[in-house]
Amino acid sequence: MSERTFSVIGKRIPATDGPPKVTGTALYADDLRLPGMLYGKILRSPHPHARILRIDTSKAERLPGVMGVVTGKDAPARYGILPIGHDETAFCLDKVRYVGDEIAAVCAISEQIAEEALDLIEVEYEVLPAFLTPEEAMACEDPNLWIHADRKRNIEKEYHHHFGDVERGFREAIESGGAVRFDRFFQPRVTHAPMEPHACVAHWEHDGRVTLWTSTQTPHYVHRTLAEVLGIPMSSIRVIKPFVGGGFGGKSETFTHEIAACLLSKRTGRPVKFTFTREEVFYAHRGRPEQYMELKTGVTKDGRITAVEAKVIQDGGAYCSYGVVTILYAGALLAAIYDIPNIKYDGYRVLTNKPACGPMRGHGTVGIRFAFESQLDMLAEEIGMDPAELRLKNCLRPNTFTVNSLRVTSYGYDECLRRVIEASDWKNKRGKLPFGRGVGIGGSHYVSGAANSIIRSKMPHSNVSIKIDYDGGVTVYTGAAEIGQGTETIHAQIVAEELGVALDRVRVIAADTAITPVDLGSYSSRVTFMAGNAAREAARDIKRQLFRVAAELLGESPDRLVARDEKIFPQDEPQRAISYQEALMAAIEQGGTLIGKGAYTPPPEAQGGNFRGAGVGPGVAYSYSAQVAEVTVDPETGQFTVDKIWVAHDCGRAINVLNVEGQVEGSVWMGLGQAVAEEQIFEKGLTMNPGLLEYKTASAVDSPPIETIIVETIDPEGPFGAKEAGEGSLAATIPAVANAIYDAVGVRIRDLPITPEKILKALAEKRRRDKDANGHGEKPTA
Amino acid sequence: MIPARFDYFAPSTLDEALSLLSQHLDDAKILAGGHSLIPAMKLRLAQPAMLISLGRIKSLSYIREEDGQIRIGAMTTHYEIESSARLREICPLLPECAASIGDVQVRNKGTIGGSLAHADPAADWPAAIIALGAELVATSTNGERTIHADDFFIDMFTTALEPNEILREIRVPLPTGTSQAYLKAAQPASGFAIVGVAVNLTRNADGSCQMIGVGITGVGPKAYRASAVEDALRGKMLDEQTIKDAAAHACDGVDANSDLYASAEYRRHLARVCTRRAIEAALRANRG
Ligand SMILES: Cc1cc2nc3c(=O)[nH]c(=O)nc-3n(C[C@H](O)[C@H](O)[C@H](O)COP(=O)(O)OP(=O)(O)OC[C@H]3O[C@@H](n4cnc5c(N)ncnc54)[C@H](O)[C@@H]3O)c2cc1C
Repeated sequence: MSERTFSVIGKRIPATDGPPKVTGTALYADDLRLPGMLYGKILRSPHPHARILRIDTSKAERLPGVMGVVTGKDAPARYGILPIGHDETAFCLDKVRYVGDEIAAVCAISEQIAEEALDLIEVEYEVLPAFLTPEEAMACEDPNLWIHADRKRNIEKEYHHHFGDVERGFREAIESGGAVRFDRFFQPRVTHAPMEPHACVAHWEHDGRVTLWTSTQTPHYVHRTLAEVLGIPMSSIRVIKPFVGGGFGGKSETFTHEIAACLLSKRTGRPVKFTFTREEVFYAHRGRPEQYMELKTGVTKDGRITAVEAKVIQDGGAYCSYGVVTILYAGALLAAIYDIPNIKYDGYRVLTNKPACGPMRGHGTVGIRFAFESQLDMLAEEIGMDPAELRLKNCLRPNTFTVNSLRVTSYGYDECLRRVIEASDWKNKRGKLPFGRGVGIGGSHYVSGAANSIIRSKMPHSNVSIKIDYDGGVTVYTGAAEIGQGTETIHAQIVAEELGVALDRVRVIAADTAITPVDLGSYSSRVTFMAGNAAREAARDIKRQLFRVAAELLGESPDRLVARDEKIFPQDEPQRAISYQEALMAAIEQGGTLIGKGAYTPPPEAQGGNFRGAGVGPGVAYSYSAQVAEVTVDPETGQFTVDKIWVAHDCGRAINVLNVEGQVEGSVWMGLGQAVAEEQIFEKGLTMNPGLLEYKTASAVDSPPIETIIVETIDPEGPFGAKEAGEGSLAATIPAVANAIYDAVGVRIRDLPITPEKILKALAEKRRRDKDANGHGEKPTA
Repeated sequence: MIPARFDYFAPSTLDEALSLLSQHLDDAKILAGGHSLIPAMKLRLAQPAMLISLGRIKSLSYIREEDGQIRIGAMTTHYEIESSARLREICPLLPECAASIGDVQVRNKGTIGGSLAHADPAADWPAAIIALGAELVATSTNGERTIHADDFFIDMFTTALEPNEILREIRVPLPTGTSQAYLKAAQPASGFAIVGVAVNLTRNADGSCQMIGVGITGVGPKAYRASAVEDALRGKMLDEQTIKDAAAHACDGVDANSDLYASAEYRRHLARVCTRRAIEAALRANRG
């Protein structure tokens, strides 16, 4: 069948919610001002680990202007985003577990007074030894000291998976004359740093219902947790997501300030607002964990990967958050990019006395991708093969099940590789540029929506409804959270395309739990695929209703009709068209306002295998990305620049080309930030760089030229064939840069970020090694 | 992130500002561009009870040539210096240094006087001011005095200014050439100097070094003159090896900082490399 042409799909459509953002009229949570509103502040722990002996809030309560104070006893229910990780309470009850842990909150008539009141709260602590590395934490045998009493030796969870037989795989590699390598790598703790800090306003009304406006990626999960913690039915709670200034994973669960705002509003009868300082964003964290990686990989002489053995230890901080998911992703997704017959994985999620880690763009895959793609280059060198060639040799095929039962449908990694190899002129550059300049390649992938919901529910993952009334406007109701990634535009495009109406007829109402149907949220790159499918389904529902009436008017069978350009006509007979408006009026006259609905539930085949931990890793599809980075290194100072990035991303189909490019470029920036600068640094549990003057994130001005190539594999199940575009390209940037630095000056940095100082040190060591080798009459190495 | 309470005055003349300051020596602070002071107040590292803003005193903002000197008013912004076509011609080090500071917003508000008075050990201006052998004019209700750049920086965030003094003007001897350069290895997030080296030199007819000023910032607790580098070059022919050997003395006698962005060892290394490169760049910059 020849490809049909589209009206709005596949075009470069500017974000439909862009104008209010760029003109400053968009209202973010902190912009909301309700009559009588109070300002909240949170008292945080100064100790990484301590028992709370006494809290006295009486002085704070007496400060003029203070309207309410809450502590742990006001909301003692335990919660957590994962059903198996309910280890949080709104405020610490017995212990504080990291510097920044929440102890109490106050609200007052001004922020100043609220801040002053915090100083008046007296807390008596018994300081406990703090565990600041997984090594220390896992070594502790004294249950009295464990961060959570029920987490033995501070291990949140460990997993041991073995698919195939890695020993056989390594033997095969050696026997073929290939190579087996064992290397250690490190990824530091990095944080999302969205432009907008967390903020919310709660209003508990006299009818006993509460409304929370909050900057969140997951209104539904916040909705659920609030009901649990506040002890009122979900139907009494309304969660509204205003404009959100970025999340990147850092706003994917319920936070203390959201609960505190509700509690304080209930107590005072007035709306209460919390807005985090930038420093508090670093405490809320939920970013990437420090990750210690040991990786052993074998390749045959002719470049086939035979086995991978990985050990990953994650320093997850003081609470579980999404931690179990993170540690599982790190292992499971090893199988979904290259064809690897034997995989062994040992993953440890460890608790420490630092802010809790959680999901961050590329969740769980980023550190291990850096390690794996770096090691692939080392193996390529050992067997004397071009690293791009080695990658091409190990591609999966579309429509396969991997050794760990992941279902891969569309697969464009091989094409992504070919496209960046060609665009970057790889063959004339790799190993051929003068000393100090180099190119490197890397690959990555990501789930396009997790096939299993975190909350272990059977309900559809996405629901969308559509209403059309006499005005002809198409109102789309979706629970999916637009957080800057462009999903409202995607919804509008899908519905406009399906209904054959102009894009500006479509209005998207999103993420208001009292109005919009449930969607699990903006995480795991699921919205375009899942909510997109639900939106298409809802539009088809409407279309059926329109076609039924149009068919009568045209004297045709409904199956022969098409909708396009605001007209409905029999296939191939556009001259017989009736207008959309005409059909709509007739349909409304017959049955009233048109209402359509659609839902998306992942197919069972996509939901993964049958072993402990199998639930994480399965995606309903996977996106792929290949990248080439070109760098210039100053060997005298170690300073370097990334001069250009070529990136090819397989997003199934680009529903909105502009949006895909934006998402891919944003991923590359974030990857670059992590490659060259980002690291949340601690000293005795205290964050040393909790601000953007100390913690460097990459921004538009730091961007090298990026050449973005979109690869379309038309996924069989994605809406119009689409898959994700927002996360999959992040991870490849880091190893591409690391590999380029190796190509440029011959040193390999195994612990991120790659800094000038590390390069310089490695160069000095290399010089020493080369000299020693010379001294012993051996040949110098490259 | 909320400053403590303070009173705010914005006098329109320098005299008023000086007399206010002399009346509130213990609790007043001068406010210039606010780009160092306000962040410090928000973090409550500084809690002045009174701010005396110089923002309305138009007479503190100028760039002019007088008596063989370039005279710059303390309230002149980084951007005004960066964008001065005249300075680019007669003293390119000044605009070059200005352009390397922070970002556009910072340069639009921050002032040269504020930066010098603040004496951040990683600030850029101190290096340039030392390399140029500038004089700083301090004013108080008791009158005026000039302080040589070499004597101005005492320690981290500490200068020779008395509590009752306002820095009014920076006086730079009019350079006789354009062999100048500023080279910085910047802290990636803020733009402050991990190491910043300013060079200002002139040559004799035979090409040998007649005069050289080298100011270095970011390395130690305060910006300093790299005298050993200067001594090793003055009167010498400026060939590659001589420059390299001289630059090796960039940190002589300096206790190098170690922080999140660079170890002391790396800083010292960078200082030597940057010093050599800054001298080379200055030689290239000569439009003689
Ligand atoms: C994001 C950011 C990035 C930055 N990056 C850089 C950088 O790369 N390089 C760099 O050098 N600087 C940098 N800065 C600092 C910036 O240059 C400041 O503007 C400068 O250090 C202070 O000048 P100001 O006019 O803002 O002074 P203010 O902040 O107003 O004052 C600073 C101090 O000097 C005192 N003071 C001010 N003027 C006078 C005067 N005339 N007489 C006596 N005392 C006075 C004040 O009382 C105060 O103690 C950065 C700042 C920010 C916020």
